[in-house]
Amino acid sequence: MKAMKKSVTMTGLAQGPTRAGVGRRMVYWNREFQTIHSPVLRYGFAVVSVAIALGVASAMQHYQFHDVELLVFTVAIALSTWYAGIGPSILAVVLSSLCFDYFFTQPLYSFDVSARELPYYFIFVVWAAIVASFSAVRRRMEDSLRQARDNLQVEVEQRRNKEDEIRKLNQALVKRAAQLEAANKELEAFTYSVSHDLRAPLRHMVGYSELLQRQASSSLDEKSQRFIRTILDAAKRMGNLIDDLLAFSRIGRAEPETVAVDLAQLVKEVVAETGQDTKGRDIVWKIGALPVCRGDRAMLRLVLVNLVSNAVKFTSMRRPAKIEIGCVDGNMTDVEVFVRDNGAGFDMQYVNKLFGVFQRLHLPEQFEGTGIGLATVQRIIHRHGGQVRGEGAVDQGATFYFSLPKVPEVAERRRPLHDHTGTHFDRRGRPERRGADSDGADGP
Amino acid sequence: MIVEDDPNDVELTLTALTDHNLANEVVVTRDGQQALDYLYRRGEFNTRAAENPAVMLLDLKLPKVSGLEVLQQIKSDERLKMVPVVVLTSSHEEQDMMRSYRLGVNAYVVKPVDFHEFVNAVKELGVFWAVINEPPPGSLKK
Repeated sequence: MKAMKKSVTMTGLAQGPTRAGVGRRMVYWNREFQTIHSPVLRYGFAVVSVAIALGVASAMQHYQFHDVELLVFTVAIALSTWYAGIGPSILAVVLSSLCFDYFFTQPLYSFDVSARELPYYFIFVVWAAIVASFSAVRRRMEDSLRQARDNLQVEVEQRRNKEDEIRKLNQALVKRAAQLEAANKELEAFTYSVSHDLRAPLRHMVGYSELLQRQASSSLDEKSQRFIRTILDAAKRMGNLIDDLLAFSRIGRAEPETVAVDLAQLVKEVVAETGQDTKGRDIVWKIGALPVCRGDRAMLRLVLVNLVSNAVKFTSMRRPAKIEIGCVDGNMTDVEVFVRDNGAGFDMQYVNKLFGVFQRLHLPEQFEGTGIGLATVQRIIHRHGGQVRGEGAVDQGATFYFSLPKVPEVAERRRPLHDHTGTHFDRRGRPERRGADSDGADGP
Repeated sequence: MIVEDDPNDVELTLTALTDHNLANEVVVTRDGQQALDYLYRRGEFNTRAAENPAVMLLDLKLPKVSGLEVLQQIKSDERLKMVPVVVLTSSHEEQDMMRSYRLGVNAYVVKPVDFHEFVNAVKELGVFWAVINEPPPGSLKK
């Protein structure tokens, strides 16, 4: 393949007959005949052509064929131009003119030209020059055509190589996709088995502890009672952790829809919902203008629910608690929404731990929760092609930002709100079921 | 009728039913094969009376024949398809739920981790299916 490529890039110059195949051999000889490479050979070819023409013309004159010498020399000039190039063609014109002058114009056998023959001779020279130039032009055209053909061949070759490459890449991709699919299946099987098998023993722990508590409550002392309560609490907590983890992995597997979501509307809903849980608390809400963005409504709702309930949770000791929700116009493509509170805040030193699964920056006695809320937020926003970040200081409050791609066309903004009918998630991201979960969303 | 492989779950369920005086007439089978044998009165059950259970509480993850396979068998059999089947499982998985409903399950209940909730769920199921609900003709009357 490499040798072939080389052969087509070198257009016709100094190539040995090395290639196999009848077709290629034909091309080779064709090319060799078309161009004589060595200057000596080329000029020699011109001289020989003219000499042959002279011989033929003389012979014809000898046999009483008059006035054909012009034609014969023209043929010689044309041949020289065609096969040997511009220089030899000029030589052929000069030689033919001289021969014509010497042998065929009066006075014969002398380079003198009589006045009577002068126009005749002059016409011959002009004619010879025209033939030579036509021949040269044609030659050049053919050369450029050949060049173009060669280039095309090279391109075809390159394209074929590229196609091969693409095909190979495609195969690799298909293989990779299959591997990924297998990995995904395995992961699904894993979560499935967690869902089925890990919860059963927990239920038994809880169940039998309760039974024990009931059965032996009279005979157990206060300490033993406390031990049983601790077992119960721990088992329930583990149940919550497993549920949260399963919900979290479910978010990773569900494909987010992309519809236009009115964030202002969504925030209004979420804040209203949170308001039901915060009766008796002094919370000052400040909600700025919010844009329409693209995304999965149920998932984005979950993001807001987590952030807002975190803000509510971590401001529980503030009177009044201040929670601000707004947006900063980041750049052309993204919009950045923030939720700011004046609550417990956090040390920026631990900022990189904020979004980790089950990462908590506060003691469970201070603020409840498993620590999956912000991890869920991050996962959802990443799945939407956005970014999350947090800013805060201890006792100074915290601000959480998330960015989302903007809705590109204005027309899209005018679209009626998509009434999402897909899966609804509760605040942990579990598809909504019994309304039994009473504890708040989780966070650091 | 309860189909449940885990002895602890069987005990907890029976405890919950006993608490509410619903445990008389409960048949427990320990895997899908045994459950089908009971329904078809085969093998060890070939002498029992020709009555269908008023309700079947079916676990999904069972040895030999899985709960979904049992469900499929019941719902594709003309004589058995009327038997009310309640899936009682640990699994929250949407795919289990979807498949169960597609196969025609009458209810899908996730076993709560909390014991009180569990007892309550089992009690409600027992009361509803054995007392409130009018079972199809040919069922065992309580």
